[in-house]
Amino acid sequence: MSVSFALARSAGRRVLWFLFVGSLIVFMIGPIVWLGLRAFSGLWLYPQLLPKQWTVNGWRQVFNDPNLSHSMKLSFEFAPVVTVASAAICLPAAYAFSRYKFPGRRFLLISLFAVNAFPKIGLYISMAGVFYSLNLMATFLGVVIVQLIGTIVFMTWIPAAAFSAIPRSLEEAARDVGAGPLRVFFRVTFPLAAPAIFVAMILSFLASFDEAQGTFLVGVPKYITMPTEMYTLVLNYPEQVAAVFALLLAVPSVLLMALVRKHVMGGKLAEGFQLR
Amino acid sequence: MRRRELREGAQGLLMVLPPVAVIAVFIGFPVVAAIAYTLGRAGGPNSVVASLGQRQFIVQHGVTLDAYRDVLGNKTIHRDLWATVWVTVLATLVVVVVSWAIALYLRLADTRLARIVSGLSVVPLFIPVVIASYAMLVFYSSDGFMRSVAYHLGWHSFPTLGFTLWCVFLAEVWVNIPFGVLMMSSGLNGVPNNLIEAARDSGASMPRVVRSILLPMNVIPTVIVATFTAIYVLGSFTVPYLTGPTAPNLLGPSMSNFFSAFNQPQQAEVLAIVVFVLALGIGAVYVWANVRTGKRSAVAP
Repeated sequence: MSVSFALARSAGRRVLWFLFVGSLIVFMIGPIVWLGLRAFSGLWLYPQLLPKQWTVNGWRQVFNDPNLSHSMKLSFEFAPVVTVASAAICLPAAYAFSRYKFPGRRFLLISLFAVNAFPKIGLYISMAGVFYSLNLMATFLGVVIVQLIGTIVFMTWIPAAAFSAIPRSLEEAARDVGAGPLRVFFRVTFPLAAPAIFVAMILSFLASFDEAQGTFLVGVPKYITMPTEMYTLVLNYPEQVAAVFALLLAVPSVLLMALVRKHVMGGKLAEGFQLR
Repeated sequence: MRRRELREGAQGLLMVLPPVAVIAVFIGFPVVAAIAYTLGRAGGPNSVVASLGQRQFIVQHGVTLDAYRDVLGNKTIHRDLWATVWVTVLATLVVVVVSWAIALYLRLADTRLARIVSGLSVVPLFIPVVIASYAMLVFYSSDGFMRSVAYHLGWHSFPTLGFTLWCVFLAEVWVNIPFGVLMMSSGLNGVPNNLIEAARDSGASMPRVVRSILLPMNVIPTVIVATFTAIYVLGSFTVPYLTGPTAPNLLGPSMSNFFSAFNQPQQAEVLAIVVFVLALGIGAVYVWANVRTGKRSAVAP
């Protein structure tokens, strides 16, 4: 028997639950739907619940504005660079954390998680302070480093958990029949861990693509990516243009997250926050 | 045998070195430099930023707390600090309670409504924070959905929440709900069904099952959700910057203002250290909770 007893027996409780779910729907979905409508509205006056005129002018304006299209290009440059750099730095470490015993393993693992223990904006402010001396302010590398910081934890942890989940006996069996360590890794270990590595890379891509506050602090005025452009858009552009740009910025997130949805819901993300 | 162990250890250390080095160089080192700078030391890594900044409190020898005095004596900062603490506490509380409720509902009810709720609660995962903040702002603005609906329902003076701390609070909750629900669900799903059924069979009421079985077995995820939400809110810039008032706002935007707009990097870094200290207490709880789970799962891998 599955655990599915009626939680709300009485009618009163049922009404309460529906109220809770109803307000949850409005609270979670409302803002996004409302923003979507804004992107197509020509004339919309309070307190109308729908725009009076519909238009696609905002879309035209966004694609014709050289600033905006440049920031889109930049975003698509940074995110892949950060993802590849993060994978190169973190994947060997993930393997080592799961397979090797070495002094200080626990301490080093916890020190990686220290990233999460610092409030982000404070961290970026301190980083920006020394970035002047390191000649990293308003440079490509500086922005890459700032975005990279936000990817290290799950780029290490999610693959590490995947490596740990692979039975050692499989690797040992391959080695028994004469495969060298590299061959074992690429023919046995890596293919089994690949889905988790893929998830970690998607999440890194998105973390980099959506990172705004650190990029804003370190990259301005030279490197204005899509999310940082939003800061200016909200203040200086017509509301409709900002809405269009926001929707465009959400597209990669929605598509890529949909791709890894199952893994994230299945607890991969949650696992990433528990040290072991 | 001994030699092989040594070699493996060395190899492992070498392989974990790159991310650890990145953390040490780009987090550890800047934080240490920031502490030195806020205490009045402007040499070494701080020399360039100190040559650019204004209204600095620098000493050649020893340390000075003048920068801290300057910042913490500032009335505007006082209000920002209180705003930060309040929004952090409130948002954390609401995120913990709501995600507990949703996760519990998902754990116990297997209905279509439950699946809708579960789908809804992770929507923010798909939306970048910048957009979320902007969407919240527009939703609660003077011509936003909430005010429009309230108007049609006859409530003509529904408050404008956009550009107030309330909007910041709501947006922080919105952004943090998915993580809360995922963590709590993953924790509650770890509780075996037969444990709950056994309790039910021997006559325990549903609230009793929640109180005596689910609650104690889900303490660690709860602590993790609380600490992470609190640290997230403390360190947030985008949400308060886009949805909040000019003043008093959270410390994130004021830090950024001091750094860029006012060109007072020392004051900005003092605020950063203040936020670190606030987070330190919270972070300690997080690490403690994790070490505890670590010990527990070390027994049963």
